[in-house]
Amino acid sequence: MPEFNSSKLRATVLQMAYAGSTVHIGCAFSIIEIMAVLYRNHLRYPDNDPQAPQRDYLVLSKGHGVMAQYACLHEKGWLPKSDLENYFSDGSRLKGLSDAHVPGCEVTSGSLGHGLSVGTGMALAAKLGKTGQYCYAVVGDGEMNEGPMWEAMLFAKHWALDNLIVIVDENGFQAMGKTAEVMQLGSLQAKFEAFGFEAVTVDGHDEKVLEHALTQLKASKNGAPKAIIAKTVKGKGVSFMENQNIWHYTRLTEDTFGAAMAELEQVK
Amino acid sequence: MRSAFSKAIVDAATADPKVLLLTGDHGYALFDEFRQRCPAQFINAGIAEQNMVGVAAGLAKAGFKPIVYGLSAFVPVRVLEQIKMDVCYENLPVVFIGDGAGVVYSSLGSSHQSTEDIAMLRPLPNITILSPSDAYEMEYALRHALQFKEPVYVRIGKSDVGGVHQAVPVAPVGDLLPVNIGRNKAMAFVATGSMVNIALGLAQQLDDCAVWSMPTIKPFHAGQLLDIAVSVDNLVVLEEHSIYGGIGGMVSELVAAIPGDKARIVRCGIQDRFSERCGSYTYLMREHQLDESSLLAELKKKLLPPNN
Repeated sequence: MPEFNSSKLRATVLQMAYAGSTVHIGCAFSIIEIMAVLYRNHLRYPDNDPQAPQRDYLVLSKGHGVMAQYACLHEKGWLPKSDLENYFSDGSRLKGLSDAHVPGCEVTSGSLGHGLSVGTGMALAAKLGKTGQYCYAVVGDGEMNEGPMWEAMLFAKHWALDNLIVIVDENGFQAMGKTAEVMQLGSLQAKFEAFGFEAVTVDGHDEKVLEHALTQLKASKNGAPKAIIAKTVKGKGVSFMENQNIWHYTRLTEDTFGAAMAELEQVK
Repeated sequence: MRSAFSKAIVDAATADPKVLLLTGDHGYALFDEFRQRCPAQFINAGIAEQNMVGVAAGLAKAGFKPIVYGLSAFVPVRVLEQIKMDVCYENLPVVFIGDGAGVVYSSLGSSHQSTEDIAMLRPLPNITILSPSDAYEMEYALRHALQFKEPVYVRIGKSDVGGVHQAVPVAPVGDLLPVNIGRNKAMAFVATGSMVNIALGLAQQLDDCAVWSMPTIKPFHAGQLLDIAVSVDNLVVLEEHSIYGGIGGMVSELVAAIPGDKARIVRCGIQDRFSERCGSYTYLMREHQLDESSLLAELKKKLLPPNN
């Protein structure tokens, strides 16, 4: 059984980013623990098949963090090492944003504000079919700028989708700076509650707390869709990347790759 | 035409509980029968079209067969990116119905008029674009669309301008449909939607020209068109859509690729402008010079020798 060890997942992300000379490391690191807990204990894939019709759905609406998902798909055995090693090489299939053509990825993100609606549709399908499936939607706090997010929230409450669990990666940053400076969000928990969600705010890097929140919310069959506001740190896990938005854009050098890997090695 | 639409979706939904109808709070009386007979399959997604299309994509991914209804100005125009990324990229079986296409909402102004929808959808891979001209073509279009094999857009324009066919066409989707054989080699018409009826009127006044209806805009079997283009002097294309990017543009693209002698293409549609004023549908078609008498005068001026 895969462990979904957070340091190992981060190391996989770094190796991909270094191999592909690519960006979006910080926003992958902020969701590592969220993804680890979901894959380890919550997402059900009958026969370990990422396309099993009865699977739970994981919608990575903030598709920029897709390397965190690729690392998990590798642990699941669905992505061979060669795919990770050849990240972004000519003709490779893993793109820099969540892509539904990859088994295990449910939506094609990158254009933000799409995935939550698609996930809401899948949660509705599970309700209509009485299948018992859950849909987990990992969204970004910057993504909450997008209007369709709020449309989806209204819809989810109206249709009593208590099998929809939205996890907001509140890392406090978006492309051009701090969310508080670009577009103030205020209290996301209060906003989700105002939209009829059952919401909690937790430390998004504390796996025990995340696990507890997920278990509690899933047990609450009250017709209210669920939200976990996960307070996270962009770039979490590597000291010189934490809260440094430049790692949304910066490529690793031999030196920074080595230094980052060394830090992760210490945590293991 | 609208009752043919209503009957087809009720039949589809009663036959298959996976068929769902989603609307963005439009279609009030149109769905009375559907709501009465299939209440559990009716989803009013509210005035939130972007979310509605995303939800439809999610439902389709999970095995449902969504029909997404909206005014053409909103579905597909407002939700183009959702159609592109959430539906077409995954080739999901979602049927989009764009009602009131063209200038049907003649008194409401440009927000409700849709003269760019074909141009927006044509470049999207996987989507089928259907544009019926009468109740029989509507049934023909929906017979295909409601098989739910790929994304389909059904463009519903002015629906009460009169019949074109005597029966439901049997040709494969993608074909041009002959409406008037015609003997005049100087000119032939290709038209879609509401303009097929107008083309028939023009054809009679211009010494019996051939008229072809184009109920399928994509995928399109070009062979017939190319045969027509080398058999007449002028090919007049009529559409209640911008002259940019609609079927006039498409016919031009295809015919331009034929080597040698071929017809001159005359595109008749909405010029590069919004509706200036409002009024009846008849008035607005005249404002855009898409009424029969304006078109007749224009074609005589452009295409016929002075003694005609």
